[in-house]
Amino acid sequence: MFDLPQIYAENIQRWLPELLYYSLTTLKIALVSFILAIVIGVFLALLRISSVRSLRLFATGFIEIIRGLPIVVLLYIVYFVPPQLFPELDWRWFSDFTGAVIGLGLHGGAILAEVFRSGIEALHKGQREAALTLGMTPTQSMTYIIFPQATRIVLPPVANYAIGLLKDTSLCSLIGVNELMNDAKGIAFADYQPMAVFVLVAAIYFAMSYPLSLAVRHLELKLNISR
Amino acid sequence: MGFWQIINEKGWYFLTSLLGGWPATVTVAVGSLVFALFIGLIIALLRLSNWRVLRILSTAYVEIFRGTPALVQLFVIYFGLPDVGLEPSPFQAAIIGLGLNGAAYMSEIYRAGIESIHRGQMEAALTLGMTPIRAMRYVVLPQALRTMLPPITSFAIVLLKDTSLVFAVGVVEIMALTRNLVTETLQSAPIYIMAGLLYLCMTIPLSRFAARLERQRQAWQ
Repeated sequence: MFDLPQIYAENIQRWLPELLYYSLTTLKIALVSFILAIVIGVFLALLRISSVRSLRLFATGFIEIIRGLPIVVLLYIVYFVPPQLFPELDWRWFSDFTGAVIGLGLHGGAILAEVFRSGIEALHKGQREAALTLGMTPTQSMTYIIFPQATRIVLPPVANYAIGLLKDTSLCSLIGVNELMNDAKGIAFADYQPMAVFVLVAAIYFAMSYPLSLAVRHLELKLNISR
Repeated sequence: MGFWQIINEKGWYFLTSLLGGWPATVTVAVGSLVFALFIGLIIALLRLSNWRVLRILSTAYVEIFRGTPALVQLFVIYFGLPDVGLEPSPFQAAIIGLGLNGAAYMSEIYRAGIESIHRGQMEAALTLGMTPIRAMRYVVLPQALRTMLPPITSFAIVLLKDTSLVFAVGVVEIMALTRNLVTETLQSAPIYIMAGLLYLCMTIPLSRFAARLERQRQAWQ
């Protein structure tokens, strides 16, 4: 007879601290790849709106390829391919964690590039022209006029991306990163309790992502009113 | 051996081996798409229902499935269900898992589509003596389809990419064969790149198609 409350009563003291410890790794992967994704995203978005045709084409192609790949495949390519292509280099620094963060960062960068670009393009061209007419340099008009306004437009989609990213970190278990999902697999099969452990893990992911999604909803309401 | 030399000697073997997983990938993608389209519609209608309990339950469904990773859901279904006496096959687990997950996203697409149709349409249909279900079926949904088609196509692309997870529950699709081939030949670089190209051959035409649908939709409005 399968009795979930009974199983939890017996094992939770052993399972929960370990799972929570590995959720910290999950959060760490999410945070570092989020920062990397923003950097890559801003860079690609600037290339996408640049006046140099070849840069625009490069960025468009790069974004389309990255977005067309499943994240799992991207993670495998980033983690396993470079060391084999360039065996003469020193790859000792390239851990599974680094591979995971670069893979997720590239994927997020491609997604955020489109978000940032549409944020910048949503602002009327006149804003920039007016800033330039007032004697600002192009950099100044970007920093003081375009960026602050675009931030407000892109905030909700960026937050939504962050929620997706948090869940996507579970894929890093497939290339062997020791995070929440990987640890859960270990416990589930060692204790022969897959249902109980994976439901518990689902609850932990939910506890991390749901507050974020409530925050996004709040943010969307607030930003709508102030406009 | 250099990268190109390997491609030259083994490329054809790699490609034909990986293509063996293509039918399984497409089966899982199409199966879970159909599943998600169907369950998603039910969830969307429940969320618009007059009964509070149904609204709360369907909202909880959407929040839970969107708040947890698809991989965890697949594991609960494939490894967890045997604990309660059900033993889904890898294919069943993959299609049910991605389908239930997709239904949560699909229901949001349906809801946005239904809400984009003016309430007056529904009221007019009801006034003409249609039942709510007939009004939905013959008046609201056909019109909402136009708005929903582009997001449904994007959703199908996401689903197609998500099928690359189902090797984790034992389905022998492209990604499973890719991993097997790497274990067999140890040539990770050409094989993973080739797998990536195979997925791109499917996703890029689809995303071009989605972009065209979106442009047409905007032209109609």
